[in-house]
Amino acid sequence: MTPRLVEPPRWADWLLERLLSPHLLEDVQGDLHEVFYKQLGEIGLARARWAYSWAVLSYLNPSHSTSKLRSGASAAYSSPSLLNPTMILNYVKIAWRNLLRHKLYSGINIFGLALGMACSLLIGLWVNDERSSNHFLPDLDRLYVVHYNLVREGEILTNLTTPGPLQEAIQKDIPQVESATKIADWPNLLVKPITPKQDQKTGKEQGYYATSGFFDVFRLPALAGNPKAALADPGQIVITRRMAEKYFAGGSALGEQLQLNNDKMYRVGAVIDDLPTASTLQFEWVANFSAFEKEWMKAWGDNPFQTYVRLKPASTAAQTEASMKGIYPRYTDWKSAKEGRIFPILQPLNEVYLYGNYQNGVPVGGRIEYVRIFSIVALFLLLIACINFMNLATARSALRAREIGVRKVIGALRSSLIGQFISESFVTSLLAVGLALSLVWIALPLFNTEFNKQLTLQPTDPALWLIVVGLVLLTGLLSGSYPAVFLSSLQPAKTLKGTLRLGTGPVLFRRALVIVQFTLSTSLIVGMIILGRQMQYLQTKNLGMDRENVVVIPLEGEILKPGRAELVRQRALRLSGVASAATVNHLPTNIQGGSGDLNWPGKDPGQKAEVSADFVGPDFAKMMNIKLLAGRDFQVNRPADSAGYLVNESAAKLMRMTNPIGKEIDFLRGKGPIIGLLQDFHLQSLHQKITPLILAFDDGNASYLLIKLKAGQTSPTLTSLERLIKQANPTYPFTYLFLDEAYGRLYSREQQVTTLINSFGVLAIFISCLGLFGLVAFMAEQRTKEIGIRKVLGASVTSLVTLLSKDFLKLILIAIVIASPIAWYAMNRWLQSFAYRIDLDWWVFALAGLLAVSIALLTISFQSVKAALMNPVKSLRSE
Amino acid sequence: MRRAFLGEFEEIVLLVVAACSEEAYGVNIWEEVQKQTGRSITMSAVHATLYRLEEKGYLESSMGGATAERGGRRKRFFTLTALGVRALNDIQEMRNRLWEAIPPGKFQLIGG
Repeated sequence: MTPRLVEPPRWADWLLERLLSPHLLEDVQGDLHEVFYKQLGEIGLARARWAYSWAVLSYLNPSHSTSKLRSGASAAYSSPSLLNPTMILNYVKIAWRNLLRHKLYSGINIFGLALGMACSLLIGLWVNDERSSNHFLPDLDRLYVVHYNLVREGEILTNLTTPGPLQEAIQKDIPQVESATKIADWPNLLVKPITPKQDQKTGKEQGYYATSGFFDVFRLPALAGNPKAALADPGQIVITRRMAEKYFAGGSALGEQLQLNNDKMYRVGAVIDDLPTASTLQFEWVANFSAFEKEWMKAWGDNPFQTYVRLKPASTAAQTEASMKGIYPRYTDWKSAKEGRIFPILQPLNEVYLYGNYQNGVPVGGRIEYVRIFSIVALFLLLIACINFMNLATARSALRAREIGVRKVIGALRSSLIGQFISESFVTSLLAVGLALSLVWIALPLFNTEFNKQLTLQPTDPALWLIVVGLVLLTGLLSGSYPAVFLSSLQPAKTLKGTLRLGTGPVLFRRALVIVQFTLSTSLIVGMIILGRQMQYLQTKNLGMDRENVVVIPLEGEILKPGRAELVRQRALRLSGVASAATVNHLPTNIQGGSGDLNWPGKDPGQKAEVSADFVGPDFAKMMNIKLLAGRDFQVNRPADSAGYLVNESAAKLMRMTNPIGKEIDFLRGKGPIIGLLQDFHLQSLHQKITPLILAFDDGNASYLLIKLKAGQTSPTLTSLERLIKQANPTYPFTYLFLDEAYGRLYSREQQVTTLINSFGVLAIFISCLGLFGLVAFMAEQRTKEIGIRKVLGASVTSLVTLLSKDFLKLILIAIVIASPIAWYAMNRWLQSFAYRIDLDWWVFALAGLLAVSIALLTISFQSVKAALMNPVKSLRSE
Repeated sequence: MRRAFLGEFEEIVLLVVAACSEEAYGVNIWEEVQKQTGRSITMSAVHATLYRLEEKGYLESSMGGATAERGGRRKRFFTLTALGVRALNDIQEMRNRLWEAIPPGKFQLIGG
């Protein structure tokens, strides 16, 4: 027989095979084919094919695909499950229709959810970035930073930096360590490229002097050259791509020469990629340590360096720490070492960024606290948005009770109803996630500048999609679960008879949810007020000195030569816009240095005398406007004073001196008299208490020149200062900052949290109010007739508004009562981190409560007034 | 026992199966139903009815008789079950009773 050339349409057969139960397919398809070939001879090919297609389409009747004929083979038949594609399509269709029919509620749901999701996505991106700070380093799990612990008087002190010889000792003695390196993290140095070109760019770049093991420990991939070999050569330097592009634009930087700090020349031996901003290693160049090493750096007593190790693959941190216990006793003859009270410890490089604070020898926190706060806030927002959805869905369930009744009568199982409601919430959360992604996309640039990040939405990143899918599933399940379980449990007989009493269960549940929402929102309001007030306090507290209009000029290059700083100061004083000037070693807003080497006549030999210390030049107290209670400043015309000391009140109290002027003490510069008594001023951020302070005369080791400008003459004076500094130090670019900026930077983390809590707090309240708005709108709609009748009977608008608002107000009052202690606890903990802080006044909570109530009232009244003003004729006319 | 209930179309299909001189299967039943009723009926309606009747127990089926124009697919041959025969008989009896109950001369009056 010849193969048939004419056949029924393929697509129709394909369709038929999918429409029919397998056990029916054979004979039905056979029958259709038979008819097709019969008709072929009678009416022609085209019409036969046409007829065949029509015939197949008429099998689109479900009875063919779902027939339970011949139960013996029933296992092979599809049964109506909630995962059947037909059912899912139906769910989605119904969900879509519902969304369209109730545009207000759908809008509230989707918009609220989208806001919540957008916030959590943003925070999620941020948290992810924070957590992966050092993830760019190869073999991160084997990299550790070395600190050491010192046990003193039952207390464990952790020192994050380490002595110079420690790295060599570890390398030599510790079998678990594969390689080790030490880093000197010195301030920015001047970089001058040596190129034949005319337009030489100079600038300051942060860099490391590191021992040659640096690229053994951190195996950073090279873009050009061999970093390991380059670092081993004291004449070569390794730079980042950014620096290469900046100084050697338009060519390979490899082999080019540059000069560091107007001093040593280097040849560029390798270029590596830029480091991520969140990395704890931050450098633009790395040069060999030996060129920089001085004799004092080889002592065990000083701790100026960071030490990093790379462990062998099979070694653990615990084994290594155990081996390292022997190092101090072996190399020092200290009492503490013999007693085993001083020993190195390891911290995984993975954790350095987030766990920077040590207490009693173990890491207790640091940035991780902010990661936690942010995550909690994100969860709050998402929860609040989900609650909106749940609330509106349960509130409006009465309207859908009929639909559920009909579905149940037709034979819907409970599981398929649950499926229906869950898929409705999935449709909503899918729409919301789309909106959220575009919101994030819009907000990211702003967020990045505020939090100093380079976050991006990478459409190619599978993790992002994982998070998005997770978010859809989470919010879909969270917000759809209660309506699904609750609505599917309704009894069809009751719902169809129209005598549905929903009982108090869902109403109570709804109230509880509103309370949860407003508890969260009110806590955030309290947080906002207290953070704002504390920040205000930090900025405006009288520090005991005047930081306004003070320009900070770092001293470097030529000015560091003996006597030059004083010369520059004298010249600056002659400028008309300069009120006064002084040199300092530390900025007076953050005096970090300290010493225990203080002696005075009559000191109890057992007394501990740790004091803060700094070196300052002439006119320091005058320039900073610090009150001199007795005595005088250092002065140029009193050279004898240079052996003397300035002390603050706390130091005088420590030494039990009521009239300290003229008393002799023994401190950093040997024996000398106290020449001035300063009123206490704040030495550091307000996290720290004012400590005893002794200021010695600076001769030549100052690092900053502080200049007090006369008010209103800032910009011309800055220009003349620039000329002056340039003249004294021609090769360096002129840089300066204002002292109050430097002070503000002490609180940059707090500032970030404040910004975050403020913006997300406002959003939380907004989302809660959206939900409230929806609920009230629904209530008013439900009670249209009741309100009409009340109006006819003479109720006033006021009493009607009260009627509609009262219930909600009660809930919000309960929320305030719950929120207050929670917020009090959290904010009190935060405030405890400040030595100087505002009081937690009761009125803050009252104000927060008042704000919550009035915002809620505003939201409610919009709808309730509208309902109360409605003409009763209209609401009662139709029945 | 429950009285047989058959819809009009079901009854016709059942009668066609009963009246078929050769073995009854989809195509010849479909053609016969169209011929007898003079209506245009889709094949799917006939199939659906046949399966429903089988489900109700009035028909039973067996497979066989593949031909080339069917692409080698077998036919499903339908035969009446005892229940099917009784159902047809019941209907017939009821009709007869009713016919006999019509008073003589009434049709002439109506047809008038």
